[in-house]
Amino acid sequence: MNPRKRAFRSRWAWFALPALFLAGGAAAQDFSKYLNNAEMTAWLKSFASAHKALVKLESIGKTLENRDLWMLAIANPAGVPAEERPALLLAANFEGDQLFGGALAMFTADYLVKNASRTEVKKCLDEGVVYILPRANPDGAEARWAPVLWDRRTNATPVDDDNDGQVDEDGPDDLNKDGLITFMRVADPSGAFIVDPEDKRAMRRADPKKGEKGEYALYWEGIDNDGDGFINEDPPGGVNINRNFMHEYPYHKSEAGRYMVSEAETRAVLEWIVKHRNIAAILTFGASDNLIIPPTSSGQLGPARGLDLVSFAEASVVGAGKTGMFAGGLASLLGRGGRGGGEMMISEDMLQMIMASGGLEMLFGGRGGGAQRGGTAASGAQQPSGRAAMPARQAATTVNASDLDYFRMIAQKYAEITGLRTPPLSAKPEGAFFQYGYFQFGVPSFSTPGWGLPDGPRGGGPGMSQGGGAPAGGPPGGGLPSAAQIQQFAAAMGQRAGALGQRGAAAAGGEAPAGIDKAILQWMDKEKIDGFVPWTKVKHPDFGEVEVGGFKPYAATNPSAAKIAELGKSHAEFALYLTSLFPRIRVAELEAKNHGGGLFRIKAEVSNEGFLPTALAHAVIARAVKPTMVQLQVPPESIVSGSAKTSFIQALNGSGKRQKFEWLIQAKPGETVALKIVSQKGGAAAASVVLK
Amino acid sequence: MKHRIVHLGLAAVIALILLPRGGMTQKFSDPPFKVKLDFNRWHDTDELYADMRKLAAAWPKFVKTSSIGKSHQGREIMLVTVNNPDTGPEMSKAAMFIEANVHGNEIQGGEICLYTVWYLMENYGRLEAVTRLVDERVFYLIPTINPDGRQYFFESPGGSARTGHVPVDDDNDGLFDEDGPDDLNGNGVIEQIRKYAPGQGTHRPSRLDPRLLEPVPFGETGDYILLGSEGIDNDKDGRVNEDGPGGYDGNRNYPSDWQPNYIQSGAMDYPTQLPEARAEVEFLASHPNIAGVQSYHNFGGMILRGPGAEAVGEYPRADVQAYDELGRNGERILPFYRYIVIWSGLYTVHGGFIDFTNDTLGMISFSNELWSNEQYYTSAELKEQQKDPDSPIAPQKSRFFFDDKLEFGDQFLDWKPFRHPDYGDVEIGGTWKKFTGRVPPRFMLEELCHRNMAFTLYQADEMPLVRLGETSVEKVGGDVYRAFVDISNPKVAPTILEKAAQNNTVRPDLLTLEGKNLEVISASWIDNKAVYKLRPSVTSLIDQKNLKRILIRNGLPGKTTRTIMYFLKGSGEITVKYDSVKGGTAAKTFKLRS
Repeated sequence: MNPRKRAFRSRWAWFALPALFLAGGAAAQDFSKYLNNAEMTAWLKSFASAHKALVKLESIGKTLENRDLWMLAIANPAGVPAEERPALLLAANFEGDQLFGGALAMFTADYLVKNASRTEVKKCLDEGVVYILPRANPDGAEARWAPVLWDRRTNATPVDDDNDGQVDEDGPDDLNKDGLITFMRVADPSGAFIVDPEDKRAMRRADPKKGEKGEYALYWEGIDNDGDGFINEDPPGGVNINRNFMHEYPYHKSEAGRYMVSEAETRAVLEWIVKHRNIAAILTFGASDNLIIPPTSSGQLGPARGLDLVSFAEASVVGAGKTGMFAGGLASLLGRGGRGGGEMMISEDMLQMIMASGGLEMLFGGRGGGAQRGGTAASGAQQPSGRAAMPARQAATTVNASDLDYFRMIAQKYAEITGLRTPPLSAKPEGAFFQYGYFQFGVPSFSTPGWGLPDGPRGGGPGMSQGGGAPAGGPPGGGLPSAAQIQQFAAAMGQRAGALGQRGAAAAGGEAPAGIDKAILQWMDKEKIDGFVPWTKVKHPDFGEVEVGGFKPYAATNPSAAKIAELGKSHAEFALYLTSLFPRIRVAELEAKNHGGGLFRIKAEVSNEGFLPTALAHAVIARAVKPTMVQLQVPPESIVSGSAKTSFIQALNGSGKRQKFEWLIQAKPGETVALKIVSQKGGAAAASVVLK
Repeated sequence: MKHRIVHLGLAAVIALILLPRGGMTQKFSDPPFKVKLDFNRWHDTDELYADMRKLAAAWPKFVKTSSIGKSHQGREIMLVTVNNPDTGPEMSKAAMFIEANVHGNEIQGGEICLYTVWYLMENYGRLEAVTRLVDERVFYLIPTINPDGRQYFFESPGGSARTGHVPVDDDNDGLFDEDGPDDLNGNGVIEQIRKYAPGQGTHRPSRLDPRLLEPVPFGETGDYILLGSEGIDNDKDGRVNEDGPGGYDGNRNYPSDWQPNYIQSGAMDYPTQLPEARAEVEFLASHPNIAGVQSYHNFGGMILRGPGAEAVGEYPRADVQAYDELGRNGERILPFYRYIVIWSGLYTVHGGFIDFTNDTLGMISFSNELWSNEQYYTSAELKEQQKDPDSPIAPQKSRFFFDDKLEFGDQFLDWKPFRHPDYGDVEIGGTWKKFTGRVPPRFMLEELCHRNMAFTLYQADEMPLVRLGETSVEKVGGDVYRAFVDISNPKVAPTILEKAAQNNTVRPDLLTLEGKNLEVISASWIDNKAVYKLRPSVTSLIDQKNLKRILIRNGLPGKTTRTIMYFLKGSGEITVKYDSVKGGTAAKTFKLRS
């Protein structure tokens, strides 16, 4: 196939306009504010049409509310077709509230085009491609421009969050009419919370062991619209797109969707990316981080950090999804057999905790409690016959030790370029796109919120403990638990109560480190950010007098728009740096020797002149990246000995690493023998030699 | 052309006039079936669909055919719905979902689907049990979820027809499906190739049966070299038949415990990437009335249930109880079939279909592996005889004996000379045809269809069915009353699986009360009303805010009657309704009057 034909085949209709046009016609955006969907679409269109020679804009799918998922492709169209060059994918705003990342992505697009003549940028756009998906969840993002704001991460798919047979029936209500959904604290002698004495704006859990008595119950700002006893437990939407991908998918958890890839946005991204295997690195901007805090030496990501107030409010609605569990059997076991079954008389809180910690089998330590992992002893199903089960392989969940150096080195460079040392809030990645990028798509893949808090110690600090498990084991003793034991157990579980709010960023990350709210408040004070509504008295239809206040929506998840340009430049530079690392496959040597009698020896050396290997160690294990193909273009029957006509290199390290091949072939002098190399991430190469 | 159509139409009209319903020839036949179908031969995709349409045309009130989507190659994925509209719309009744043939070569499930629709209709009004089933339930059948694979199995000479037909680059050379097998001698079967090389070969004819080729033992020589299966190096890359059609497993592409290719080979890039899996998932997700699932595969004689992988964890005890009851009776209905758990009894499966239907959708799901080798020689005497290596039905000879004596040589292709483009003079053959081994002999197909249908109809009959029993009202004082309402589910399956309740994957059952000026003072559950009336005890209050709409999150277990006790204030007629997505709806009216 000739190059012209291949270019024609390209999905991107490139326009070969004169290069001098590049600098002119800049689209109007000064990156001083966040853009709604209409504004973003207008800018993307004008940007693409102003830079037709370099930029192509494509919609890769539509959302439920019929918004486009816009994808930019930025490259110099001359030469090798774009889809055969190593590419960087920049993607953002999978969580609806992560608008800052989308702005960084658009800034980067603009920056690359404006600097297209600079040597590094030119090389990037001549030899590679940068794909940019600035807003993967436009339906969710649009909530930022609704009349009443709440921190919404989800798309528009209607979801019955509390599974009560009514969908989206109890959303937030703006009691104090400030256009913001914040929090609500209600004076309540049975409440679990007190005002934090160190910062009166913050709340914390009362510790009975220190003689502290709870004074407040905490809720989202709102009323119980459906009269089920819970407030705001089923808001509009939806699914958080960064919880709908396959890696460590959070089955049956909130915001994750009914099943993997249930959402139009997720499917559109996957359909598109599996057709773009030339993508050699992925950088996402979003709620999770593996750049500010790189993976540990065992390949684990840094801890999740979420707002305490959010996790406290979320904990108030968790019970909604458990209301109506008939517990006749359990009641009997607890010594209430003669009284008949009924709703469990242990508190709703305790029930939630028990359920959240693995259900009754955990309570009973697995002793006849039902689900014994893998055991079939209790079942009438027949036992393994001759075909005993093979030990099951588990998918990797930590960065491969051989890939770690690349991740840590790149994170080091990220810190140097951006100066970011302390991540703001960060969500535990479960079903996140960037994790798919490494663990399943097989390329170096990163996520960063794109901004940070000032002056934090790197990789440490208060509340940085890993999100963790429940207290080990069930209650002591082998017998059935007494009510007192359950109480004890529940008390132990109480430590985890903050982590139970599954909808919260905090809960998604496991344990909410106590005290993060104060750090955020200090940052807001320092940066003079108006991000906190002072607690103010308001009349509530059910509770009477309550106080409404707390963090403003979006204020703790996005810095002010003034930061876009400042951090945009360093992130564009970092994106550029990533493209400089791509593997580059070359034919380093090709020679032919005539042995006489029509027998020739062909020797070849294939090298990787880039920095990254043609496939990461995990990509080889996961068979996620095709091995580099080395093919001698001769009839197979002419090869007498040596390598196969079609050979493969699983992975070739960068920095000039070589691999040798040798064939003995039968041919005639004067014939040309060609060698073809195809590397999925390192481009293609070819060479030929004339037999003498 | 036009003439022909007119003639055909005329012929049909004449046939209708001449042959009264049932047909003259069936006067004393038993029973006089309305639609004649064959259950001793195999139907390709088009014929299977045509026969289904025939059934829909014969019983238009009950049977509807539609399409849930298109396969990769553009074939319809046919859905057949059996529902009696007189007993309520589809969504108001528990449904049984039956699908087959996700692996293209596992064709007999499609035949069972055809048989099931035919049998239900022919016997509706004739057999009380069948009539009741059709009236109480809805049946959704997808006779082939992989119509491309099924058709390929029929049309193509062979090779593996397990996969679907989305192209996959099996050999990593950037080309897709470019080097499949080639039927060199054009007899419709991909056979083995051997070359006669006296004294230098690696194989020799077996002493058990000369049609069998066996490797020579160490130190001996053979007369044949085995050259693999029929084919040539189509893409001239130095390898033969290394990239045939497809190259994945359609039953690893479902979004429950889906795992990437290196953990679960054949999984594809992401779940529901395959158009067939996507169409099926979307259909199921939008039909919460489906309570039971059967997915027909072959072979080995198994009644499988999940979990497919150990790490998923055994089902909760209550669920296991229901599965066991159904599975054990299945073993009685299906001799030579064993009821087993996929991961522990067969092998580990990630992203399998019935894991999705059980774990994500809360449907009681089985997968039958149709046909077992044990069914060739079924009596105890013959099985004993097979232990004798000299017996003509000893294990390695038994298939030949069966083919010779019962199928008259229909299934085995003996070696025949052939001139190969690369290897010269060779012999091709030594191969069983495709309609054997994994599928029963044709004459045994009808029994396979009937027994498996019988198991699936038994499962359908044991899906939950909500009934309101006795209601009694007594005056407490003033306008305050106490009411007892019995709620029962006489079937094996619970209205909500325990796992589904734990994961909130099925909408809770709803117990509602309606009445003018009605106030519900309290509500509480009583396990056993008889015990309670003899020896009243303190019942716990149902701790829900809206007692006119009580959520029952883990539903009503199988074979259970439970009583709800209300204290009510008001007067007049009260309507109580129990609404279960999988167990149907039951309502009753009573009066507040002492």
